Amino acid sequence: MSQEIILRTENLGKHFKNRWAAQDINLEVRRGDVFGFLGPNGAGKSTTIRMILSLIKPTTGVVELFGHRLNASRERALQNVAGIVEKPDFYLYLSAYRNMQIAGSLTLGRTPDDKKIMGTLELVGLAERARDRVKTYSHGMKQRLGIAQALLCDPQLIMLDEPTNGLDPQGMKEVRELIVRLSGERGITVFLSSHLLNEVEQVATRMAIINKGTMVVQGNVEELLQATANKILLNAEPKKKALTLLEKMKHVTVPALSDEGIIATIEPKNIPAVVAALVEAKCKVFSVQPKHSLEEYFLSVTQNGTDV
Amino acid sequence: MFNLIRLELFKTYSKWRTYIGFIAVAVLIPVIMWIMWIEGGKFIQHQLRSLQTDFFITGNLFNGWVIAQLIMNGLWVHVPALIALVAGDQLSGEATSGTFRLILIRPVSRARILNAKYFATLLYTASLVLSIAALSVGLGLWIFGSGDLIAFDKDGITILPENGLIIRFLFAYALAMWSMFVVASLAFFISSFVENAIGPIITTMTVIVIFLIITNLPVESVESIKPWLFTTHMNVWQQAFRDPYDWEKIRTSCLALGAYSAFFWAVTLFLFRRKDILS
Repeated sequence: MSQEIILRTENLGKHFKNRWAAQDINLEVRRGDVFGFLGPNGAGKSTTIRMILSLIKPTTGVVELFGHRLNASRERALQNVAGIVEKPDFYLYLSAYRNMQIAGSLTLGRTPDDKKIMGTLELVGLAERARDRVKTYSHGMKQRLGIAQALLCDPQLIMLDEPTNGLDPQGMKEVRELIVRLSGERGITVFLSSHLLNEVEQVATRMAIINKGTMVVQGNVEELLQATANKILLNAEPKKKALTLLEKMKHVTVPALSDEGIIATIEPKNIPAVVAALVEAKCKVFSVQPKHSLEEYFLSVTQNGTDV
Repeated sequence: MFNLIRLELFKTYSKWRTYIGFIAVAVLIPVIMWIMWIEGGKFIQHQLRSLQTDFFITGNLFNGWVIAQLIMNGLWVHVPALIALVAGDQLSGEATSGTFRLILIRPVSRARILNAKYFATLLYTASLVLSIAALSVGLGLWIFGSGDLIAFDKDGITILPENGLIIRFLFAYALAMWSMFVVASLAFFISSFVENAIGPIITTMTVIVIFLIITNLPVESVESIKPWLFTTHMNVWQQAFRDPYDWEKIRTSCLALGAYSAFFWAVTLFLFRRKDILS
């Protein structure tokens, strides 16, 4: 994977009246990344995306896209960028085809050719409804049309803000598959903002977490998740006795009681010995589950998972 | 830029609301003509009653030119509402539908987008005024025929010979267009603040009505501010029916109206370039 950084923000921040919606955001997105941008609702994700896409003027900091500073050469910076902010919006009184023409014309400076428009609509399964007015489209179709609009001019970076919002499980799956396909087959870098942790976990290669307007962490998804590696959820009875025993075992670190059971860190090779020791001490072991997940990691770094 | 203007015109003329003005004109003008036809010139006779005691008037004074001028007199206060209907939707309509998020993330400067929208608004305004011109003059001459023009205004009556009237009407509609550009610019300016199209229409009409009331108030204390109100100059088109032309008045009014339009455009541009798209 190339290490070329195509999106960089430095100390990016936005102050509204009496609060900072986002502050000191330092992002680095590399070519080919599927970059997950995570945060609870109201964390500042949309504000950050809006600043990157020049919908909002930053109070502090700079945005650099493909080596061009947004405030200095906006048109060149945005030339290879497409995006959907919060939800795709259209001229509802026009057909999908006309909406595609408008979006394409604004990026290319000329009307995109018919073949290109129809080909892109075909990709998202809307070619047959191309001439229908968008106001007759379902939510899922609009979402797909938004992605088609974003793809029309062959961008190198696509910014997607909560792309599966309001979609049914099938629609969410389709969008996730499309993101993976775009990245894998077309080499498009995807910046995916979401509060759905499993969504990011399934598709992202790198990620950043934002909370209360500030960035908490950024890095490779696998590497970051190592922080929660070897964590297990152990369901044994009686709980207190099992916990006391675990606390005394040298292979087990930081065992703690939770609503779900006992959470502890144990290397996989030591799990059979630990289970055997519990059974020997007359504890009933019902299950041992890995707790190696983005959710665990997210909660551990934000310490506030109520919105997620 | 041409591509952007073409896109804005396409969007503007794809909306149903754009045609409300044309439909209103297409209905109203024939209705006025029909009423005039039924009345058979009683109105003109009434207007000329005092003149006929002192002068001997011959020829067709109840003709298409007279009707077209009467229509112009009757409509110039109401046409702004039809203009505001479209101009007031140019920016607020994008905000309402969320399409700012679609167009402002593209590699086109905000200034160019705004200028294209403004230009499209002016073209719509021009097309509406031209449709009034074509319909009232064309239909008027077809139904009532040609003849000399008796121009009525608050200063009295001017009789203008038939030859040269077409130039006077073209001039009058050009001046009317110029004054309607101020209305369009005002509605466009207000449109940049709000997220629904009703606000700019109501606000534009409110401003025009208030300014018109002040303009027509026979009170000495407001005389000094009257020259600064655009409504004072909006009837500059009536100067096209004066003989001789009062060039000084025409120049002053055109400059004042142009300054108002430029001011509204410049402030809109200034605000729009700094506007945060939050919704």
